[in-house]
Amino acid sequence: MDNTTHIEYQDFPPCQMACPILTDAREYVQFIAERRFEEAFASIRKLNPLPRVCGRICMHPCEIACKRGQIEEPISIAALKRFAADGPWADHYKVALPGKSTGYKVAVVGSGPAGLAAAHDLALLGHHVTIFEALPVLGGMLRTGIPAYRLPKDVLDEQIQTILDLGVEVKTGVLIGEDIKLSNLFEHGYKAVFVAIGAHEDRKLGIAGEDEIEGVVSAVSFLRQVNQGENPEIGKKVAVIGGGNTAIDSARATLRLCADAVYIVYRRSRKEMPAEEEEIEEAAHEGIQLFYLTSPLEIIGQDGKVSALKCIKNELGEPDASGRRSPKHVPGSEFAIDVDMVIAAIGQVPDSSLLADELELTERGNRIHLNVPNTLATTLAGVFAGGDAVTGSATAIEAIAAGKKVAISIDCYLREESPPTASRTEVVETKKLPSGVVEKTQKFARCHNISLPIDERLKGFDEVKSVFSEDLAVQEALRCLHCGIGASVSTERCISCLNCVQVCPVGAPATTKMGEINIDRFLCQACGICALECPVQAIDIGLHPRGELGQQIKKAVSMSEDTAVVGFFDYQGSFGPDDVSSLKKQYPGIAPIMVFGLRRVDTSDVLNAFEAGADAVLLAGCPSAREPFAAASSGVTQRMAQAKAVLDVLGLDGRRLQIFDMPERGLVDEEHLTEFMHTIADLGPNPLR
Amino acid sequence: MIIVEPKSFEEIEQMTKGCGRLLVLGCETCSAMCFAGGQRQVAEIASSIRMSKKMSQDQTEVLDDTVARQCELEFLDHVKDKVAACNTVLSLSCGAGVQTMAKMFPDRRILPAVNTKFIGRATKRGEWMEMCMACGDCILERTAGICPVTRCAKGLLNGPCGGATGGICEVSKDQPCVWQEIYHALKRLNMLHYLKQKPQVKDWPVHPDKVVRKDLREVGAT
Ligand SMILES: Cc1cc2nc3c(=O)[nH]c(=O)nc-3n(C[C@H](O)[C@H](O)[C@H](O)COP(=O)(O)OP(=O)(O)OC[C@H]3O[C@@H](n4cnc5c(N)ncnc54)[C@H](O)[C@@H]3O)c2cc1C
Ligand code: SF4
Ligand code: SF4
Ligand code: SF4
Repeated sequence: MDNTTHIEYQDFPPCQMACPILTDAREYVQFIAERRFEEAFASIRKLNPLPRVCGRICMHPCEIACKRGQIEEPISIAALKRFAADGPWADHYKVALPGKSTGYKVAVVGSGPAGLAAAHDLALLGHHVTIFEALPVLGGMLRTGIPAYRLPKDVLDEQIQTILDLGVEVKTGVLIGEDIKLSNLFEHGYKAVFVAIGAHEDRKLGIAGEDEIEGVVSAVSFLRQVNQGENPEIGKKVAVIGGGNTAIDSARATLRLCADAVYIVYRRSRKEMPAEEEEIEEAAHEGIQLFYLTSPLEIIGQDGKVSALKCIKNELGEPDASGRRSPKHVPGSEFAIDVDMVIAAIGQVPDSSLLADELELTERGNRIHLNVPNTLATTLAGVFAGGDAVTGSATAIEAIAAGKKVAISIDCYLREESPPTASRTEVVETKKLPSGVVEKTQKFARCHNISLPIDERLKGFDEVKSVFSEDLAVQEALRCLHCGIGASVSTERCISCLNCVQVCPVGAPATTKMGEINIDRFLCQACGICALECPVQAIDIGLHPRGELGQQIKKAVSMSEDTAVVGFFDYQGSFGPDDVSSLKKQYPGIAPIMVFGLRRVDTSDVLNAFEAGADAVLLAGCPSAREPFAAASSGVTQRMAQAKAVLDVLGLDGRRLQIFDMPERGLVDEEHLTEFMHTIADLGPNPLR
Repeated sequence: MIIVEPKSFEEIEQMTKGCGRLLVLGCETCSAMCFAGGQRQVAEIASSIRMSKKMSQDQTEVLDDTVARQCELEFLDHVKDKVAACNTVLSLSCGAGVQTMAKMFPDRRILPAVNTKFIGRATKRGEWMEMCMACGDCILERTAGICPVTRCAKGLLNGPCGGATGGICEVSKDQPCVWQEIYHALKRLNMLHYLKQKPQVKDWPVHPDKVVRKDLREVGAT
């Protein structure tokens, strides 16, 4: 059940709030930062049945919302998802199939992301699912639309197989509405139907020459041929009309099929272009020429074949109903582009004509009309619909969201229960960051995965982007600002001393007139500085609460048999699992505790370690270039000087405590560590042990 | 606020040698604000003393707790069981708190963990300044809200001594001449004529002083 019902979260950070399926990006990014890759994958997978697909082609609304985006660039949330989902640890994930089936049969029409997600979640709810797919292949637009250089077919195959492995049945080559009517499905024993037929009919350009002249093709059918390896005939010079992903993909595919010149003609400016920013960049990089603010006027033919595309320049007028500025022709700016092929990619509508006699369609756009939008129920009892078929061409993650939602609706429908009302959620309000905060926040450049060199790319349909290496993924994940999981004040304990207000590097805590402290959850970056400076320990941090640290210290000391050295290591350093294991091998006495900056370690933590019997304590802070809160480091030195003084008074010797600077790569400098270990050996064991 | 300063751990260690079962008790008002008496400081001191005891084979336990203010009997009531279970209490409170503890728990040793310095305010983080000597006869209405009793090194009541150079006090070289400040403040307020008034004889209180508010007492009197 856990896999399909949404968990009630304490608070939603901007990234999570923006995701149609409420993926907890903050959580998995955090797991990656801590090198807990398996848990990162589980966090993604529990909600998303197609993580490897989404990690590659999701339009990632999370990144648009990401707070880091206001500082310099958003976290590469999607690429991190791919990293987590592509790794070998992903195989360890076990889906929790219910012990026994409900006995209900459910039909899913269409095997795109909406249908697949619904099948997955319904199977986990114990229903018997059959997918009916018109084409001989599964995946919908993921297979027939998106080319392999962005989403390799074997990745898609593997993802679909994990869903089929849940016991989902498949009937390909069945055109519902023609081969079988929707209502007939009920006669075959299906108790509910989910219609997810997508939007596969390209809109007409509506210009002269479109129908009569040979060499004008629709993007959907062109890409379908390309993606099924049919090598369609292409021109030498190709114009693609449109500004969405379909247009970019058609253009990039044509280039790979050896066209000499490829142009994209789009009526608005680049800013308004709906395609993914990175895709536009890649297209330009590969040599595709983009004509912005240009509308096609007429297709010109010679001997019945395309010879040129007549265009006109536009300027942007007032914003229209969709908020986008509508293009207006500039009189006298006509020009022609020499081409021998034109691909129309100005949007798709559902091809729902076969279902029109059974389902109500929208007046415009041929979309399936929902009787109850909240449950995705159509006008026909027991029939639900979602994905592009309902919304018009949208995105994969929205289709997945529809599939997940419908699984719950159908489950309730079958059990004759009322559908759940939206669960109560608290949202971290997304605001514009004050310029002072942007200025004060340490900038860290976004990490990019390596792309295939151009000449390699154009040889075929090999995947362009590679997956992040572990180190790069961790480095990227460390950029997260931990929205909504930072400091919170216990009003019962707070004495309104205002220290937190004074020490916070980003001004998150503020006071009311009566002295109550509020910490702005959107501003806070969970650095932990205030929690340590609060004299009455009224503040704790959601990300690694202080109590956890206390337990780790006790455990660390109790675990070591010989010399016990508690080592606090900064996650923000640059090291890998190899460094940790070789340290452990070389110095079995060192029990590492990972912390988000040494600023998280208080005097009493160190004293507690000695009290518990540690022979020594070492702290290793990250190299300064990686430190997001450099101003906090003097506090660390002061606190440790205090602890050293106490150790001296006690006769334990302050030399048992030492701060190290991490080297550029690795945990601690070999030479210094050896010296330290010698000192400890000379001092002998902690007499408190 | 009462400004206090933590005693050195050396002194505390000496004081607590052989003290038996000990309660380290924080005070979370003024003392906490001076980083000397809050939960955080309690954790630090308690851990240090535990180690010290262990080092000298002293098996007795160290407990810790905090109250809102040790100068109120009502708050101390919350820790009376813990105090009863101990031989000694190390109080992280100002002198008033330590003495309230001693009064409330007459058969327990109460030790001070801080030095009580003065009435003052934080001038910046980690820095406090004396503002008021509690002279018992406030004259701030005549000195534009600046206290010469406390802040003039010589405690002069009738104007500057004349020794200041460049606005700096001749005695405390890191302090401005407070009479010069008073002069400028009065001038700003158009009250310079106040300086011409004869200084009044101050009514210095006999120590220990006591305040009795009859008006309030009568309201709530039982
Ligand atoms: C070229 C292109 C690039 C895209 N790039 C991206 C991208 O980068 N990121 C992103 O998020 N989205 C992208 N999209 C959009 C995304 O692919 C769709 O929004 C998504 O696939 C919609 O999912 P769906 O399940 O609703 O429908 P579809 O994926 O379209 O699947 C519908 C399925 O139903 C089948 N079907 C149709 N009629 C019947 C019938 N009568 N009987 C049985 N089966 C039937 C179809 O054959 C198809 O397999 C792209 C789309 C295209 C065309
Ligand atoms: S900074 Fe982290 S938590 Fe905040 S929106 Fe971005 S990914 Fe989410
Ligand atoms: S530092 Fe602690 S006690 Fe002081 S105002 Fe902030 S929360 Fe309250
Ligand atoms: S955790 Fe850091 S950013 Fe958040 S309120 Fe505290 S000091 Fe400010």
